[in-house]
Amino acid sequence: MAILARHVIATMRRLVREKGARGIMTDSTSEASGNPFLRKLERFVPLSDEDRVVLLKVSENAQAVPARTDLVQEGDPPAGVFLILEGFACRYKLRANGARQIMAYLVPGDAGDFDVALLDAMDHSISTLSDCTVVRIAPETIRDLLARPAVAAALRKSTLVDEATLREWLLNVGRRTAVERLAHLFCELHLRLSAVGRTDEYRFKLPLTQPDLADTTGMTSVHLNRSLMELRRQGLIELQQRHLTILDLPRLRELAEFKAGYLHLGDQAAA
Amino acid sequence: MSLRLQPVQVATGSDDAESQLVFADGFLVAVLVCLSEQHEADAGKWFLEAGFGRVDDLNAPLFADVDEAQGWIEQQLL
Repeated sequence: MAILARHVIATMRRLVREKGARGIMTDSTSEASGNPFLRKLERFVPLSDEDRVVLLKVSENAQAVPARTDLVQEGDPPAGVFLILEGFACRYKLRANGARQIMAYLVPGDAGDFDVALLDAMDHSISTLSDCTVVRIAPETIRDLLARPAVAAALRKSTLVDEATLREWLLNVGRRTAVERLAHLFCELHLRLSAVGRTDEYRFKLPLTQPDLADTTGMTSVHLNRSLMELRRQGLIELQQRHLTILDLPRLRELAEFKAGYLHLGDQAAA
Repeated sequence: MSLRLQPVQVATGSDDAESQLVFADGFLVAVLVCLSEQHEADAGKWFLEAGFGRVDDLNAPLFADVDEAQGWIEQQLL
């Protein structure tokens, strides 16, 4: 397994080096409205046209990365910042017995820590969960981005939201029941994906397995399955072919005691 | 050490109800629940719903039958 992990990392690094080999070049005009990184940061701080051009340029060297590929592993030196343009990735840690805890999801527009270069070694791993489109932002590009005041402010705010989300997830695994944890996660994902244009009203792609969801919410696959069934039984969700539909958002939020303030999305959070 | 089983129904909030209390030398050490059809490929396997003391394990495997579960519990108690 370790050999396989090393292999996929080597492959990823080679892909990153061979810029353009499998690069996804996109039309900058259509990208401006659809680029999830830009959409997310603009929600936090007003950006100038010049800032927008610089941020769109960051996304130019995107790479297709298959599901379940480690982008960076715990103990590795930081290899720049990974930005997710499509798909789901996660931060996770493994116990010696192989048990995994997922600490965060990176959905389109999300990235790793922009100050990670200050650290000598990663204290957690980052992996794709589904097939993803990923940009590795090099340290020199990060320095250029942080030199732009509005972009730097937006990235700092993004980091604060990541920390607030982690606190909410800690509350989830520590103080909510299995069904409440799952309800809360679905409420959060609905808002986060909606903010970057990845929802169709109450329906969105959820390209995760039951073990992924179990490792996120700190429960066994058996409890995860029971909890999903309970949410279905209560008429709150439908999960079919890796698409989740929230059937009754007010009741799902009530069950989870979901308050969207920690995502700092402004007016949309109340929607 | 000898294990003794006692069949019970557990209110798991799901279709999983058929269960066994597992006693070791008179002490309750585990609750095993048989997984229902809602678990599809895992239906019929036995799940460690609760383990007490040394039998407490968040990462316990699913067991093909009660005998296999008892063997695992005995190992935990060694």
